Amino acid sequence: MSGAAHPARGPGDRLTGLFWRRPKLLTALLLLPPLLWLGVVYIGSLVALLVQSFYSIDQFSGLVVPDFTLKTYAELLIPSNFDIIVRTVAMAAAVTLASVVLAFPVAYFAARYAKGRWKAVFYLGIMLPLWSSYLVKVYAWKLILAKEGIVTWAAEGIGAGNLLNAVLALPVIGGNSLSTSYIGTFLVFLYVWLPYMILPMQASLERVPTSMLEASADLGAGNWRTLRSVILPLALPGVIAGSIFTFSLTLGDYIIPQIVGSSRFFIGQAVYSLQGTAGNIPLAAAFAVVPIAIMLVYLTIARKMGAFDAL
Amino acid sequence: MHSDARPPLALTLAAIGGLLFLHMPIVLIFLYAFTTEDRSYQFPPPGLTTEWFAVAWNRADIWPPLYLSLRVAALSSGLALVLGTLCAAAMARARFFGRDTISLLVVLPIALPGIITGMSLRSAFAIGDIPFSTFTIVLGHATFCIVIVYNNAVARFRRLGASMLEASADLGANSFQTFRHVILPNLGSALLAGGMLAFALSFDEVIVTTFTAGQQSTLPIWMLNELVRPRQRPVTNVVAIVVFVATFLPILAAYYLTRGAEETAGGGK
Amino acid sequence: MTPAVEFQSVSRHFGAVKAVDRVDLTIAEGSFFAMLGPSGSGKTTCLRLISGFEMPTSGAVRIFGEDMGTVPPNRRHVNTVFQDYALFPHMSVRENVAYGLMVKGVDRRSREARAEEMLALVKLDGFGGRRPAQLSGGQRQRVALARALVNEPRVLLLDEPLGALDLKLREAMQDELKSLQQRLGITFVFVTHDQGEALSMADRVAVFNEGRVAQVGTPEDIYERPATRFVADFVGSSNVLAPAVTEAFGGPRAWASLRPEAIRLAPGGRVRGTVTGARYLGAGTRLEVRTGALPRTPSDHHDGGIAVLVPAGAAVPGVGAEVALDWDAGALHLMGEEP
Ligand SMILES: Nc1ncnc2c1ncn2[C@@H]1O[C@H](COP(=O)(O)OP(=O)(O)OP(=O)(O)O)[C@@H](O)[C@H]1O
Ligand SMILES: [Mg+2]
Repeated sequence: MSGAAHPARGPGDRLTGLFWRRPKLLTALLLLPPLLWLGVVYIGSLVALLVQSFYSIDQFSGLVVPDFTLKTYAELLIPSNFDIIVRTVAMAAAVTLASVVLAFPVAYFAARYAKGRWKAVFYLGIMLPLWSSYLVKVYAWKLILAKEGIVTWAAEGIGAGNLLNAVLALPVIGGNSLSTSYIGTFLVFLYVWLPYMILPMQASLERVPTSMLEASADLGAGNWRTLRSVILPLALPGVIAGSIFTFSLTLGDYIIPQIVGSSRFFIGQAVYSLQGTAGNIPLAAAFAVVPIAIMLVYLTIARKMGAFDAL
Repeated sequence: MHSDARPPLALTLAAIGGLLFLHMPIVLIFLYAFTTEDRSYQFPPPGLTTEWFAVAWNRADIWPPLYLSLRVAALSSGLALVLGTLCAAAMARARFFGRDTISLLVVLPIALPGIITGMSLRSAFAIGDIPFSTFTIVLGHATFCIVIVYNNAVARFRRLGASMLEASADLGANSFQTFRHVILPNLGSALLAGGMLAFALSFDEVIVTTFTAGQQSTLPIWMLNELVRPRQRPVTNVVAIVVFVATFLPILAAYYLTRGAEETAGGGK
Repeated sequence: MTPAVEFQSVSRHFGAVKAVDRVDLTIAEGSFFAMLGPSGSGKTTCLRLISGFEMPTSGAVRIFGEDMGTVPPNRRHVNTVFQDYALFPHMSVRENVAYGLMVKGVDRRSREARAEEMLALVKLDGFGGRRPAQLSGGQRQRVALARALVNEPRVLLLDEPLGALDLKLREAMQDELKSLQQRLGITFVFVTHDQGEALSMADRVAVFNEGRVAQVGTPEDIYERPATRFVADFVGSSNVLAPAVTEAFGGPRAWASLRPEAIRLAPGGRVRGTVTGARYLGAGTRLEVRTGALPRTPSDHHDGGIAVLVPAGAAVPGVGAEVALDWDAGALHLMGEEP
């Protein structure tokens, strides 16, 4: 037991010494593999996407011409393509608004009143649909909305069959059956993305101290006043965080409108069919850039409003 | 925010209604797997039978996609486990320049729609002339699974704190011994939970996969094809149940693994 | 003899914060050394410079004469009892104590035997199978102690090890630590902001103020002969007298300290005054006396008054009473030029 220091035994000790003298080195080494992966695979691919979107396709040979051009983006503006963008954005907005309305009672109840067992029930009750198979959920709605399915059955059971037919007869949003109409597409989007709205909303509501509600009540504010001028503003960051998900997920989805909906395209379907059978990768890439552009604007605004604290 | 007051009746009904809305479709899938009707989605089912499970079992075209999905999910969650943990460890170590950028970079693959990740990879494969393979699928899946593991690990690292690691070094352990004897045992359940969630996410993924799989078929892609061009609808129902259970069980396990800790798995999807 | 620990003009700055600033220290082998000072004065940072969790911005830390500049914490022959104990929650008490031996590659049987010996030393025999979460605060503290001692450190660092304990347990542990240190002959470096603890346990005390060492000395030195106003005030709340006051009290024109317990109430004493307050302390009563001659100075913490400790049993004058104060000539301790 002499000496002030033990000798270094083996490479483990020597490396430890090195990391101790250069703490940043270890941090850098730890970061290297994930950053390489995300940087090369992900950012690299995003760059490839951008690059492709500035290429164009030769009308006659159908081959990609690897020269910089804005021609492909200009193609987005021709009416049939632009309609797709408008349709998708409108759907994303409608889904986001509806999910705010539907999510609020669940989030508010879970944040304010659920405790003990109920807390767990609510937690799992939101988490399980969120995590359970996306495709299975979409599929379930195909069963529900089918012409011979449960909705028709239930509508007829309560004598509302005519009402259902009237709704389906509406222009634009109606259709042959719910599963081939925009209403159907909307319902499935709403269902599938709803938990993404509930969770951040609940998180931001949980941070509202009860005392603040009581203070509002003390000041003589009624329930609606309290809700409108205290709770909703405080829930706003959560709403924005949730809307980032519902909006962006709707913008980019192509499975749902393909399985439940009319035959008119959404952005996702356009991307998918252009890159596949049509073989027009540049236009597919340009289409895919549209949700990125929309989301970047959206994220910038959300960040300014402090939405990321609620994530 | 927590209140002892009784909730208004309307709110209770709306909240419970919301939960039911989230669960009812899933229940329906189970019912349909037993229907005797195989040409339409007729409700209520004219009769019930268990024969479709046997039929599905004997369908040779289901097995290869199932194997592929399992292989992809295992590889992607394994990769994500390593990369996500490393990233979380680095972030836990110190404040350094560019932290926010890195956390944004990690979240981006699931914050942006899957179609962008998919189409980006597709563009890159086109530019680089990379042929489709299991590897190209894994590339995409691991990318969006990293954040799942990362979220779980980062919370646990924060709870572990610096003093435990210093105590270990103080007692003579080098960095590797500290990792093995202190970090890993404390991180274990969070990592396992993260890995399971990543597995579930990958097993079920379809959007990115359709861009990176080429002619290969994972189970979700198989299902998608059946949805677009149905052959034996009840068989699809049976497969849907299998997919549901294969994602449900890891999620439930992840929940129990991290229950009690202030951070619970899954919030980050 | 080479000192156990030596600081040579050591500084540790965090940006603009000078946590430790040009500190010179010598800690003799086998001594019980206390670092005393108010919160934020740099004690913990000094300890971490010894254990290796901080690196000096400038200067050198030597342990038994060896420069520690390139030696990481895991190779230093020094162990720490952490303030929050930092026990490993996933290990049993026995595994916690045996940890240092395990990472050195000692086989299971002998390391567990050693761990049990150490647990016996800190009077925790039979607790080896428990988890740290199943122990009380005082027991955890002992486990942390055993876990450090099992490595036979040449220097043991303790960062406010008794801070979380209640008074009774604290006093018992003070005695135990002291006797343990004497039995083992290990150098203890002990951080505390409790001056009573430092004075009663240590052989030598360093008083820290704003990253610098204000005074190093034996407890008597520190208590009886504070080198600066800060030390006088921080250690035992002495009366700090401004030069004019010292002069009025019959001394030279210089800063001085006068201990409350050195002052007697005696008719015909040197200074007359009025009692303005009284605080019962159990072992005595602390009076605040306003002496007419006393000018108020900004640095006078006793608000123009002077504190007097009346021992238990003696008659205590009431508030408002006129008293005369007296003290032995040597009680007025003059301090060097004030920094
Ligand atoms: N890692 C750090 N980064 C920045 N400042 C620090 C760091 N560690 C310590 N400091 C600062 O250095 C000064 C001294 O801190 P230190 O912990 O040594 O004080 P202390 O004497 O142990 O106080 P306490 O009695 O409260 O434990 C403080 O002002 C503290 O804020
Ligand atoms: Mg301290």
